[in-house]
Amino acid sequence: MNQTASVANETVDYGRQREPLSLLRLVTNLYFLYSVSLLSFFVIWDRVAEYHLLGDALVRPHLVALQLYQLTQMKFAGQNLMGHIWASTQRILVGFSIASVIAVPLGLFMALNKYANAIVKPVFDLFKPMPPIAWVSISILWFGIGEASKVFIIIIGTFVPCLLNAYNGVRLVEPELYDVVRVLGGKRRDEIVQVCFPASFPAIFAGLQISLSIAWTCVLAAELMSSRDGLGFLIKRGMDTHKPALVLGGMVLIAVAAWSTSQILGLVERKICPWKRSIENL
Amino acid sequence: MAYQEVKVKTPLSMIVLPVASICSFFLIWEGLVDFGFVPETLLAAPSQVFNTMVVKLSDPNPDGAVLAVHAWTSIQEAFLGYILSLVIGIPLGLAMGWFKVVEGLTRPVFEMIRPIPPIAWIPLTVFWFGIGLTGKVFIIWIAGIVPCVINSYVGVRMTNPVLIQMARTYGATNWQIFTQLCIPSALPMVFGALQIALAYCWTNLVGAELLAADTGLGYLITMGGRLMRPDIVVLGMISVGLSGAVIGVIIDAVEKKLLAGIRR
Repeated sequence: MNQTASVANETVDYGRQREPLSLLRLVTNLYFLYSVSLLSFFVIWDRVAEYHLLGDALVRPHLVALQLYQLTQMKFAGQNLMGHIWASTQRILVGFSIASVIAVPLGLFMALNKYANAIVKPVFDLFKPMPPIAWVSISILWFGIGEASKVFIIIIGTFVPCLLNAYNGVRLVEPELYDVVRVLGGKRRDEIVQVCFPASFPAIFAGLQISLSIAWTCVLAAELMSSRDGLGFLIKRGMDTHKPALVLGGMVLIAVAAWSTSQILGLVERKICPWKRSIENL
Repeated sequence: MAYQEVKVKTPLSMIVLPVASICSFFLIWEGLVDFGFVPETLLAAPSQVFNTMVVKLSDPNPDGAVLAVHAWTSIQEAFLGYILSLVIGIPLGLAMGWFKVVEGLTRPVFEMIRPIPPIAWIPLTVFWFGIGLTGKVFIIWIAGIVPCVINSYVGVRMTNPVLIQMARTYGATNWQIFTQLCIPSALPMVFGALQIALAYCWTNLVGAELLAADTGLGYLITMGGRLMRPDIVVLGMISVGLSGAVIGVIIDAVEKKLLAGIRR
């Protein structure tokens, strides 16, 4: 069955050409390969753990799942599993919101006002190459081992990409767009509100995504150093008591949590700025 | 000459303001500590940090090694992990972009490992490799490989499809298209990955050393924190930032040299 249509003087064929079913086609089917890949990953993991190829420091996958299930049933260090997940997520949310609320407007302002840029940029450049994790020690000195020090590290870590992307987002707006607004008789205010902000939104959201993954790294580092709850605490406790199941369970949870927060942010992005040109990416 | 070179004069305020900004930043920092607004147990003045640096150049106390040894250990670990992640990550990403079979086999595992922050691997690497060089190189490798794979993959995928069709028309084989068209056109993206991967490696190096190490700049920072010596902590932070920035500049220069002929 051939469905054709004419688009801009070119005939486009929408029909699917069916190739005969063959072994080769089955083997190179993407979904088949995906399942082979996942299956072999878990089987290799299971075998390596079963035969103790890495000492006793790796446990079989189903034991990790069992450990996670046990954590939902009983309290571990005063919290059940949801409590630990929420403890980490809460820190992320607080730090991430504070940093983005300050950094994004500051970045926009720096890009629009050259005097603000001349004052803030040099100091910012001093802090930029310093990895956020390097702040862990000094934030414990300053704020003790409570919530404040963890939120502080997250703010430090997320501030840089938020600000940089907002700044670059505005500076990389195509100059033609400004010309259009000017030709149509827009003032400076129209340029900023109608062109600058919408055009820089995709870059800002890219910055927020980067920030979010850095925030998870930071909260993990802070919790590994000192904490009484949270996912990092689970991993650290597993390390100290030599329980690989607990460590692996913590890693799985962190991966799931980090992945879902970034998915949520992606959804918000699609809602707020649907005009983003998407390139095919991972 | 058909055109005249126009010299745009930088206004004086644009030169003065950044310098003034930096100077006042350091003056305020110094003043805060010297006049007792911030207790010395919490923050060290820049002059104090400088003194500590001079002392640490030759004195292994109180953390067991001189500054150069710490820096050398860190650079060694970071470099090994970085090179390994480039050597494995870039070919893997390129192959994932072009060969469907490679993509199908590696992508699910990659997607599963990707959202785990590299620092989360620290306990496992301590179990597996102890606190020596190997474990840290492993963590840095994990950190660096993600941007390498993603950028090479996207680079191959963004190859202009018209060029691919043209190559097919002229009878190029699949392998020829991959090596002679896709890889060169992915190069700018790949070089972008070099910078990103370096930043990731450097961040996670500090993380790895905070928890499991006996020398290195991250260890210097941790010990400074444990001994309540803010001057050592700040010194460590500055050394990490500075060496990261220097390596970044070097890579940037290499990139400019190698990519001279390629339009970005």
